[in-house]
Amino acid sequence: MEKRLTLAAAALLLAVIGLLPVLAMVASTFHVDGGLSVKAYQALLVSGKQQMLLMGHSVLLSLSVTFLATVAGVPLGVLLGKSDLPLRRGFVVLFTLPLLIPPYVIAVAWFSALGKGSWIVPALTPATAELLTSALFGLYGCIGVLFTAFMPIVMLLTIAYLGAVNPRLENAGRLVARWPAVLWRITLPLIAPAILFATVLVFLLTLGEVGVPTFLRYPVYPVETLTQFAAFYDFSAATAAAIPMLAVTLAILALEYRLLHNRALELRAATFGGVYTQIELGLWRLPLFGIILSLALVTVVLPLAVLFTQSSSLSAFVEAFSRASDSIVRSIAFAVIGATLLTLLGFFCGYLIHNRTLPLWRSVDVLGLFLFTLPGTIIGIGLISLWNTPMTNAIYSTPAIIILGYIAQYAVLPMRMTSAILERIPRSLEQAAELCGASWYMTLRQIVAPLARRGLITVWAVGYVFCLRDLGVSMVVYPPGSDTLPVRILTLMANGAPSLIAALCVILIVVTLLPLGVVGLWPRHGVRRS
Amino acid sequence: MSMIEFRAVSKNYRGRRVIDTLSLKVEARERVVLFGPSGCGKSTVLHLIAGLVIPDSGDILINGQLVATARKNLHEPEQRGIGMVFQDLALWPHMTVAENIDFGLRARGIPGKERKQRVKDMVELVRLGDYLNAKPGALSGGQQQRVAIARTLALAPRIVLMDEPLSTLDDALNVQLRKEILRLHGDLGFTLVYVTHNRDEAKELGTRTIHLRQGRIDQASDAGCAA
Repeated sequence: MEKRLTLAAAALLLAVIGLLPVLAMVASTFHVDGGLSVKAYQALLVSGKQQMLLMGHSVLLSLSVTFLATVAGVPLGVLLGKSDLPLRRGFVVLFTLPLLIPPYVIAVAWFSALGKGSWIVPALTPATAELLTSALFGLYGCIGVLFTAFMPIVMLLTIAYLGAVNPRLENAGRLVARWPAVLWRITLPLIAPAILFATVLVFLLTLGEVGVPTFLRYPVYPVETLTQFAAFYDFSAATAAAIPMLAVTLAILALEYRLLHNRALELRAATFGGVYTQIELGLWRLPLFGIILSLALVTVVLPLAVLFTQSSSLSAFVEAFSRASDSIVRSIAFAVIGATLLTLLGFFCGYLIHNRTLPLWRSVDVLGLFLFTLPGTIIGIGLISLWNTPMTNAIYSTPAIIILGYIAQYAVLPMRMTSAILERIPRSLEQAAELCGASWYMTLRQIVAPLARRGLITVWAVGYVFCLRDLGVSMVVYPPGSDTLPVRILTLMANGAPSLIAALCVILIVVTLLPLGVVGLWPRHGVRRS
Repeated sequence: MSMIEFRAVSKNYRGRRVIDTLSLKVEARERVVLFGPSGCGKSTVLHLIAGLVIPDSGDILINGQLVATARKNLHEPEQRGIGMVFQDLALWPHMTVAENIDFGLRARGIPGKERKQRVKDMVELVRLGDYLNAKPGALSGGQQQRVAIARTLALAPRIVLMDEPLSTLDDALNVQLRKEILRLHGDLGFTLVYVTHNRDEAKELGTRTIHLRQGRIDQASDAGCAA
């Protein structure tokens, strides 16, 4: 009973934190000047042509990034996850780096790389430099930056699911065909649901991105929502403008669910542990190493190296700390609190999803995914719709609203990760404790949590990273005097010196990656399935 | 000349010696059963023959030709002309019965018309003519077993390896499929290497039984002596 009550409470809490704001936002669009009205939608329709153009830009950008991320991410995932390519793990870390920092930091890095004073520009012909600089501001620049930022999602999911494919299915193919045919006709079709899921994630994350298009001056729909809110203080117009984004997100998730519902089950049914199979690249080993090294150098190392170089003066860091030390401390504190609460809520929701203790487990999973793919600005507007009342001012006007935003937006990460961690702990261990008369809490505390400890630390670290890099939610909801470092950097970009911005970005990268380093060094105590 | 020959083959996994300087010969058309407790190296022997695992030392010859030597596969798995029925059958769940059987034929570049006929012949051979377009998940355990055998035999391999293929079936079905395996062996004349830890299976299917213990031959016997 205590188990069911606790899990139901966790599910309810997620609904209150994540779903209620969205519903409040939708309701508020019909509430204008103290009465029921569709005025906000009428205003939206009046500017229909402009809205369509912006939505077209958003879709074009999302489709381009998704296409490139899939075309590059899947082969990269196969090579890094399954072949004997040298330095595979190093490459995985390198390519994952852009996913862990706010995407606009990469845009800033490219701006530094192609701007005045860069050591790259003199190496190029003036025409090439001019072409690259002009391409950076606009669609192509956004595509390049967001490709670098989101491609790791496809790569990492490909690697993860390749590891889950039963090697005997591949070995059965290898007895009659060469690796390319086996990959093309057996392995990739088996992990197609994971690839499709990754592409949907990339599409929706790109669709909701505001930082990069704002910085690179490419007008997209989510920026319009933000502008209505931040520049014109027109809340009903902002909420109405958010509705089409909400509809697109829901439609794509529904399509993904319809396409994958049965196939995902098939994949799960087909996967269990076995001997790891590795593709021997033979003569292709070195050429492929060269190609991947070049890709890593151009897309990750080069922009970040320029950023680090540009920030490499003591005065830049002194100024950065003097102008943003409060934001740095706040960001770390909010991220620590957010990650801790995310780990707790994610653990119970993940347990619910893993054990299917309550019939609503699937709704919890879908809600988490929906909130993750919803643009942060929309979650922010939803939170304001719900909590901006005299009675709830203690939440609305304090950093609590930022924390609620983090939990709503990123709950799916600890949920899914916890579910995967619990998958590795044999159910019989918990059952044995129950038979000994242990309560559920005692079993969790003394059996499950210690066995899942390392995994839960990783969950916390991932939560910390995503809270710290957040821009979408925090730039909409932060109360006066409570801005976070990503928000401070974005506001300083308008008039701050490039070296100051670069130094702040470097600080952001360092404080973001610090806990991941700690987790990487944490001793391993795993439980193996017998 | 033997169909399969191991010359002092060894294989380690994570520092543990799974196969220990194993030497053995299997003649053409022979039915050899590898018998022994779990973890004695039976399945590893099959994987070494198939080329799915590379030996740490020693030589492996197929039909007199050196196919693998210390830490090196000289012939890749698909070049060895070997069919294998895996313990969990390893039927590709996203393909139909016909597609499962057709995969290897297509990979060998066999023309479409001939492939279609061969697939038909194979499902007839294992008496599954009505299930060509069914996916493995829709079949019973015994039917899946037959699909795995049909897929293995489609390319007319010289050697067929079977890794405890009947271990998950009930007794009646187990006995029935043993008879089918013997019938197919009689009709097609392949060399069979069969792994099991079931004494009845070993007795009935093997013309020779090899007992393995800790990666070495513990005892070899003709049919009937294994038990």
